[in-house]
Amino acid sequence: MSEPLSPGDFEAALRTIGEERYHHRHPFNQRMHEGKLSRRALGSWVANRYYYQTRIPIKDGMILTKSDEVAFRREWVQRIHDHEGEHSRKGGLELWLRLAEAVGLDREPVEAFEHVLPGVRRACDSYVDFVNGHDLLESVAASLTELFAGFIMQTRIAAFEKHYDWVQPGGLDYFKSRTVKAPRDARYGLAFVTQHAETRDDQERCLAALRRKCEILWSLLDAVDRATSRPRLADHALLRDEADGSQLVVLPERAVRIGGSSGEILSLCNGERTGNDIALAMGQRHPEAASVGDDAHEFLTEMAATGALRFDPDPA
Amino acid sequence: MPPRPLNLIAELTYRCPLRCPYCSNPVNYAETRDALDTGAWSRVMREASAMGIVHVGLTGGEPTTRTDLEEIVAAAAEAQLFTHLVTSGLPIDPEGLRAIANAGLRSVQLSIQDALPAESDRVAGTTSFDRKIEIARATRDLGLPLILNVVLHRHNLGRIREIIALARDLDAERLELANTQYHGWALENRGALLPARLQLDAAAEVVREERGKPGPDILYVLPDYYSDRPKPCMGGWGNKNLVVAPDGTVLPCQAASSLPGLEFWRVTEQELAACWSEAPGMNAYRGEAWMPEPCRSCEQRSIDFGGCRCQAFHLTGDASATDPACELAPHHPRVVAARAECDLDQAFRYRGPASN
Repeated sequence: MSEPLSPGDFEAALRTIGEERYHHRHPFNQRMHEGKLSRRALGSWVANRYYYQTRIPIKDGMILTKSDEVAFRREWVQRIHDHEGEHSRKGGLELWLRLAEAVGLDREPVEAFEHVLPGVRRACDSYVDFVNGHDLLESVAASLTELFAGFIMQTRIAAFEKHYDWVQPGGLDYFKSRTVKAPRDARYGLAFVTQHAETRDDQERCLAALRRKCEILWSLLDAVDRATSRPRLADHALLRDEADGSQLVVLPERAVRIGGSSGEILSLCNGERTGNDIALAMGQRHPEAASVGDDAHEFLTEMAATGALRFDPDPA
Repeated sequence: MPPRPLNLIAELTYRCPLRCPYCSNPVNYAETRDALDTGAWSRVMREASAMGIVHVGLTGGEPTTRTDLEEIVAAAAEAQLFTHLVTSGLPIDPEGLRAIANAGLRSVQLSIQDALPAESDRVAGTTSFDRKIEIARATRDLGLPLILNVVLHRHNLGRIREIIALARDLDAERLELANTQYHGWALENRGALLPARLQLDAAAEVVREERGKPGPDILYVLPDYYSDRPKPCMGGWGNKNLVVAPDGTVLPCQAASSLPGLEFWRVTEQELAACWSEAPGMNAYRGEAWMPEPCRSCEQRSIDFGGCRCQAFHLTGDASATDPACELAPHHPRVVAARAECDLDQAFRYRGPASN
C-alpha cells in the first residue's frame, strides 16, 4: 500500500464521497425538497424512515462494545440518549413519531413498523449488519454521513415550511434538533477517524465504509421512491406470449418470464396505481396469503432493476 | 432436440464506414457479398420468432448502410421480436433513426472508440466521433434506451473515467466496457492492442469506484488473456445465439466461418430451423460430448462450455482443444507468453474499406 493521505486530503476524499453519493442527490429527496411529493408519498417516507431511526441506537450500542476507551464511550453513548431520550427529555425517536402524526399518520402502526417496505427493512438491517461485522474505525467512518446531514436538514426545514405547510406545527422538531446535533456528532466522528486511520489501508477502509453507507441510504430511498411512484411497462419493453401460456417481458439483452401472481401484479401496473396501491390491492385480492403485499413490492423491485417498468411520480 | 435459441444476431452486411483494427467480422470479410434481400430477411425474422427467438440484434458491419433497414425492422417488429440496433453511429442520421424507431426499433447499442474525439477517430480509422454523439442524443430524445459499447485496449484503458463520464452525460442505460478479445482482426493487431496487467488493474479499480455512483450499469469484461478462465463464449455453441451472416449462412458465432472443415447451411437453401438444428457444423461442438480433457470432467464445463472454439483453433490449430485462455488447458502457456508480446511500436493494421 502507498503512503497515507495527509489529514487534509483524507478529509477531502471523505467529503468528495458525500458530495457524489450522499442521498441529497437522490431523485426522491430532490422532489421532496422541490415540494413535488404527494401527501401519501411524504407519509410513506416518514413511516419507513422511522425504521431507520430505530436502528441507529442499536448500531450505536454495537459501536460502544467495540471500544475500550472510557472517553470514547462517554461521548458515543450520548448519541443513544439523544435518540431514545433520557429521564423527561424527549429523544429523536419521539420527535420522529411526532413528525409522523404531523403528516397525518397514526402513531401505533408506525411504531409497529406496519408500513415498512421490505427493501427499506433490508437496507436498514444491512447497516446494523455492517457495523456488526466491521471494526470500530470502519463503523465510525460509516456514521460520517452526518457530515452532510446538517446541510440536508436545513434544506428540508425550508422546503417543508414553503411547500408542505399542511404539516402540523411541531412536526419539524426532529429536523431542527439535528441541524445542531448532526454537525457536532460529525465533528467528533471525523476527528476520531482522521486520528485513528494511520495507514493508507485504514484510510481506504474508511472511505469504503462511507461509500457503503451512502449506498444503504440510497437504496432506502429507492425502495420508498418505487413504492410511492406509479409503475407501468416501459415503452421499449415487449410483452410477448409464450407457447406454455406464460408471458415474457423482453428487454435489451434479457427477457423476464411472467406467470401466476407476477402476471397479476404486472396487470395492475397501469401508471395510475402506486406501488403501495398495488401491494394493497394484492393483499385484498388474496387475503389468505400473508406476505402477498411484500411479495408485490419485491416483484416491482426486481422488475425495476431490469428496466421493464417506468415509475412516474405521484403528483403532489 | 437442439436447444431453443433466444437471440438472433442478424449480420445484415459486412460493409462499414469504420475500419477498427479489432473488428469482429472475418478477416476475409470482403469476399462475402450480401445475399439476402428485404424479403429474405423478413422471412428470417418470422422463422426466428416461430422458433422461440425473442431478440434480434441488427448488426454488421454497419447495418445502417442498408437502405432497406426500415423495412427489416418493421418485419422484425411485426414478428414480435425485440429489435435492437447495433451501430457505429454512421452513416445513419437522426432523421433516419427516427424512421427506424417509428418502424418498431426498441433499443440502440452505439459503439464509441474513446472519450477523446481525436483518439476515437484514430482507432475507428475515420472521422466519426461527433456523429456518434449526435446519434446518442437522438436515441435518448426518441425515448429509446442507449447502450454504449467501448472496446478496450491499451490506448484507451487509461481513460475509463472519462468514458464513464461520457456515458453518464449521454444518459446511457448501460455501458459495456469490453476488453478486446483476440480473434480475427484483433489477433492480427494483438501486439498493438494488448494492455499490460497494470493497466487492467487500474481500470478495474476505476470501474469499482464509479459503479457506486448514480448512472449507467457498467459491464466490465476482462480480456480472456488475463482472466485465467475462458469466457462462456456465445453462451455455448449452438445453444442460445443464432447468427445469420450476410451471405445467409447460419452460424453459432460471428467468427465460426473462420474454422476449417465445418459445414454450415444457408437460409437461402434451407429453413432457418433446419440450419440451426441439423447442419453438421452447428452440431460439431454442441453440448458436452465433443469435449476433451480437462473439460470433460471439469465442474466448470456447464458454466464456460469449454470456452471459445475459434480461440482454440487460432492458438493451437485444433478447434476442439480446450480454450488456451483456461489455466487448466495444456496450451495455456501460449496465452501467458502472449501477454508479453505487447509491442509499443506496432502500428494498427486497419480493416480496409469494404469492396462489396
